[in-house]
Amino acid sequence: MDNIKKRSSTIESVRISAYSTLNACGLGNQPLLNALKKNERALAPLELFEVDFKTYVGEIKTPLETLSSEYQDYQSRNAQVALTALNCCDDGLRLAVEAAKKCYGNDRIAVIIGTSTSGLYETESAYDYLLKNNEMPEDFNFISRHAYQATGRLLQLELGLTGICFAVSTACSSSAKAIAAGQRLIANGLCDAALVGGVDTLCRLTLRGFHSLSLISESFCQPMDENRAGINIGEAAGLLLLEKNHEANQHQPLLLSVGESSDAYHMSHPHPEGLGAQQAMRSALLLADIDIEQIDYLNLHATATKINDKIEAKAVFALSSPNLICSATKGITGHTLGASGALETIIALLALEHQFIPGSCGLETLDPEFLCQVNAAPLLSQKLRLAMSNSFGFGGNNASVIVAKNYG
Amino acid sequence: MDKFFIKSTAICCSDRSLLPRFGLDGYEVDKSLIPIALRRRTALTTRMAITVATKACEKIGIDTSKLSSVFVSLGGEIQVTDALCRLLPDKKALLSPTQFHNSVHNTTAGYWGILNHCPLPSTAIAALDDGFAMGLIEVGSQLQQTDEDILLVCYDEIWPTYLALPIGTYAFACALVLSKTQQDNNPYVTFPKIMPTQLTLNLHWCDLVKQAPAAAAIPLLQAIKQRKNKCIPLNIKATLWQTHLYF
Repeated sequence: MDNIKKRSSTIESVRISAYSTLNACGLGNQPLLNALKKNERALAPLELFEVDFKTYVGEIKTPLETLSSEYQDYQSRNAQVALTALNCCDDGLRLAVEAAKKCYGNDRIAVIIGTSTSGLYETESAYDYLLKNNEMPEDFNFISRHAYQATGRLLQLELGLTGICFAVSTACSSSAKAIAAGQRLIANGLCDAALVGGVDTLCRLTLRGFHSLSLISESFCQPMDENRAGINIGEAAGLLLLEKNHEANQHQPLLLSVGESSDAYHMSHPHPEGLGAQQAMRSALLLADIDIEQIDYLNLHATATKINDKIEAKAVFALSSPNLICSATKGITGHTLGASGALETIIALLALEHQFIPGSCGLETLDPEFLCQVNAAPLLSQKLRLAMSNSFGFGGNNASVIVAKNYG
Repeated sequence: MDKFFIKSTAICCSDRSLLPRFGLDGYEVDKSLIPIALRRRTALTTRMAITVATKACEKIGIDTSKLSSVFVSLGGEIQVTDALCRLLPDKKALLSPTQFHNSVHNTTAGYWGILNHCPLPSTAIAALDDGFAMGLIEVGSQLQQTDEDILLVCYDEIWPTYLALPIGTYAFACALVLSKTQQDNNPYVTFPKIMPTQLTLNLHWCDLVKQAPAAAAIPLLQAIKQRKNKCIPLNIKATLWQTHLYF
């Protein structure tokens, strides 16, 4: 990073020593990479439960690991999805955490997990029982299954970690902000490593809630397309191990910064000029002390709703150089809500590692109003150094993550 | 930096008669702080958190449009979520779009930003018994990246009795304005740490925290009021997070 000078308002970068995901494409980074390179959607009709309207979802079909008997209190789909991703052998995430424990000590590794659903799926079934029987089922355990910290706490217990542990829950920016919190803790010496990311799972409340806002698409979603008609909800875990910089990890990719902002405008409508989105991206650039021209790829939040895509396109155009190549990947995975920030940071890392720019599955005709460059089909054999990923959530809560290929 | 200063505090409790035993006073929930158009959309939890946040800021005349914030709650918008969950077994029932977007954990953080026209970052976290300790850590961590003050709000409302009794028997909220720089002899706290030393915990406090998790802040608020240099417990269950308060 010789050519990147640090200013006082910047944050120290941290290494990303391992990462893994479980999503509708399958378990681990490879199935996601394959889907990205082929621009192939993993969306299908909902099977997990019934809803009264037509839609497609990014549902995980991979068999989920069961929690050990010791941690049965934490049993939820959310916890199982998290545990399955953690244990994915191909990506070596768990081994990396074990190595970090030896290196830094169990109390020096934080666990910061973003989630918006937590174990809501199980709670919904418990309410079926409650309304029929006037009491919750015997095995109902709100605190260790549904309360927001439950999944993070399960991972902490499973890994035998004893330090800082909390959940971030800021709707669809949750896991991008969990990544921010982890970087800050390491940069400020409050821990040496942090398992960060996000986990969200399909449930009736989010499907029917987004439907009530008329934001669910009946067909395959088309981010940034002129005919886009709403979201396909997905589910995922995206987990990353952040570590402080040291001599032995110079070959690993870097987390440069996470910019955060608030729209201060409306709970579910973005600021009409995209000021909050612009501010998050600007803040990320300032913290990393780089210019937008240096970003080689931007993974858009692009949920495929009429308004959100329009505002994001406006914000990106207001900020960026005309050459910045963007793409939207929710047409492949679905919108994984609180996990999307981590999942799409992983997509940015895969783009850097494999030197390609993902396409925008579902995009046929770019909305003619949009003046930014949105890439429809994957571009292989690229030269990429820096990538950015946007996440914007209810409450006007915004975060932009910047990652870098290793500079070793 | 291994410490940060406490510039202002404020408390709200659904049963104010519980506070004098800790030598503390609380504010009544002040609905008028939220404009009528927004008020009908907000639940008790938001009104209570916004009351304490506003009072803590008013005391020191701080510009709330330039204040980053960290909101900590175990259950967040639990009453809104409960009302929505009760509708779900009926496949035909329509959910209210407003109720849906008000069910997210950062609802209060979002309304605070809207009311105060604050574009700065705001976050919403949860950590069960360790919520207050984790909130202090997150604020302390953020303070190292900025010269501006940061607002910490720790709150939980009354919960439906079938969820996790005794949690949610009482509603409690407190707000603290925290700063990297000292002004007017403000006290300071050290970064929370897990300490091996056993502190004797006040039983009234332990009892209240079991019913209102945000009341974990009470020993710190108490020591500030008494102007005591003290080692302060930040949660009631192992692992015990502690901080030191100094004047």
